[in-house]
Amino acid sequence: METMPTGSSGRLGRRRFVSMLASLGGLAAVGNAFGSALAFYSNPESATGPTKSAPFQMARYPQKTELILLTDRPPQLETPLRYFQTDLTPNDAFFVRWHLSGIPTTVDLRTFRLEVSGHVRKLLSLSLKDLQSKFEPLSLVALAQCAGNSRSLFEPKVPGGQWGNGAMGNARWKGARLKDVLDTAGVLPGAVQVGLHGLDVAPMPKTPPFEKSLQIDHARDGDVMIAYEMNGEPLPMLNGFPLRLIVPGWYATYWVKALSSITVLDQPLKTFWMDKAYRIADNADANEEPQHLSAVTVPINRMAVHSIFVRPEPDQQLRAGQPYELAGVANDGVEGIRRVEISQDGGQTWSDATLGADLGKYSWRRWQAKWTPPAKGSYRLMVRATNAAGETQRTAQWNRSGYQRDVIEHLDVVAI
Amino acid sequence: MSPTATCRRILHVVIAATGLTVLVSANAQQPSAGLPKPKAPANPVHSIVLPQYAPEIADGPNKEIYQRNCLTCHTARYVSMQPRFSKTVWQSEVKKMVDAYGAPIPEADQALIVEYLVAVKGIEAPTAPTAPTK
Repeated sequence: METMPTGSSGRLGRRRFVSMLASLGGLAAVGNAFGSALAFYSNPESATGPTKSAPFQMARYPQKTELILLTDRPPQLETPLRYFQTDLTPNDAFFVRWHLSGIPTTVDLRTFRLEVSGHVRKLLSLSLKDLQSKFEPLSLVALAQCAGNSRSLFEPKVPGGQWGNGAMGNARWKGARLKDVLDTAGVLPGAVQVGLHGLDVAPMPKTPPFEKSLQIDHARDGDVMIAYEMNGEPLPMLNGFPLRLIVPGWYATYWVKALSSITVLDQPLKTFWMDKAYRIADNADANEEPQHLSAVTVPINRMAVHSIFVRPEPDQQLRAGQPYELAGVANDGVEGIRRVEISQDGGQTWSDATLGADLGKYSWRRWQAKWTPPAKGSYRLMVRATNAAGETQRTAQWNRSGYQRDVIEHLDVVAI
Repeated sequence: MSPTATCRRILHVVIAATGLTVLVSANAQQPSAGLPKPKAPANPVHSIVLPQYAPEIADGPNKEIYQRNCLTCHTARYVSMQPRFSKTVWQSEVKKMVDAYGAPIPEADQALIVEYLVAVKGIEAPTAPTAPTK
């Protein structure tokens, strides 16, 4: 572990340059980052107009299996639902989401360093090997979920990545506690936040580099970690090789990929990515109305209670009179899922599903429920989850950016 | 990936594959010999090559201006994957690119780009993306 004398300011240190292909610049849209000029969502046409998106295409990227292609530059790849039938999502099927098209495509471990700087006693410059050998490893299962997962289901539609339910994945992460790394650097009194930055680069001089911040107490809670393994393997490049910040229970916007710089700050980080983007209405369900947008917004944070169907898939036909095993996954932020209920009659009656393995409070929980369609016809299936704190899901929800979806999922199926 | 890195990568794979062959054949002759596991040196340089999945770009008015200004930084899929939106939404998106993301789009081009977006993904647009704007 190299240490250097302190003396740098609290600004985010310039990350070490790592050889990177001349990826074309990237100027990625994040879900509607601005709160201005929003009356247009009230346009009644937007709910009834020809809003169908172009059909999705599949794509195969390095170290990945065939995934649903949302965008190719920068890559945004969605996991097909069938991969959600195991507790841990395979690395090659794990969703991908970058903001800036200058993404790292080459990392030389001989020169790669994670720099820790700012409001600390000593600067650190850590190699991957340092992280692996000089800190006690922590291993935990945690769900990574994009803030905009399920965005395409919001009505009226909102701009941004038109994700279905596959912008998430559950993995076992192994790494060093951020707390231990910060303690080694020695956080000075007066620290309020840590700023986090990865190897991706902004394409234009005025494009804000992607960076996020966490409150210092959160950063030191002992569960926030710097992962070097994902399901027992190094991370795929597109999921953040060689190091990714894991913020268990929080939306993946904070899980900075290819983490290369940690800056301890004595002032809150000022950045587009905290101040303008990834903000939600200041209420528990990130809920607002198109005609009455919330005047007060806060940075998105813990994941809401959320549950989806994995089986059957939309448009799948079932057989009347034949038993079928409904299945899906449910998650929340930091409490853990306690109960999942299914309705087969559009929400009039509910029955308990069987919960799968409990892999810890930060993991999703798989569920199953047997159902026999009694007769030919159409059925509206619904699923709702409740977490250990008694929090459950809403029947309706909307917000301008399509974030933090926690609305009770329905699935219309036909029995033949 | 640079040509050097590509070569290194290929070499690495070849070494690994060769090592495996040796191990298998040696084991076939001496199942209990306990040969040391061949250890290919770990390549410290990790590289990927991004594939090309650039989409067809819908025809519409000012298409070239849209291409020139917008596709330097991101794929046309940022538009093609979107649902249809009102002109107000598209104006706001273009403004966001300029104000928030620092896209150096000349003022005169901004309105022309909005015109293109409304033509190909506007809520009022006819279904044929090639139709001229009103």
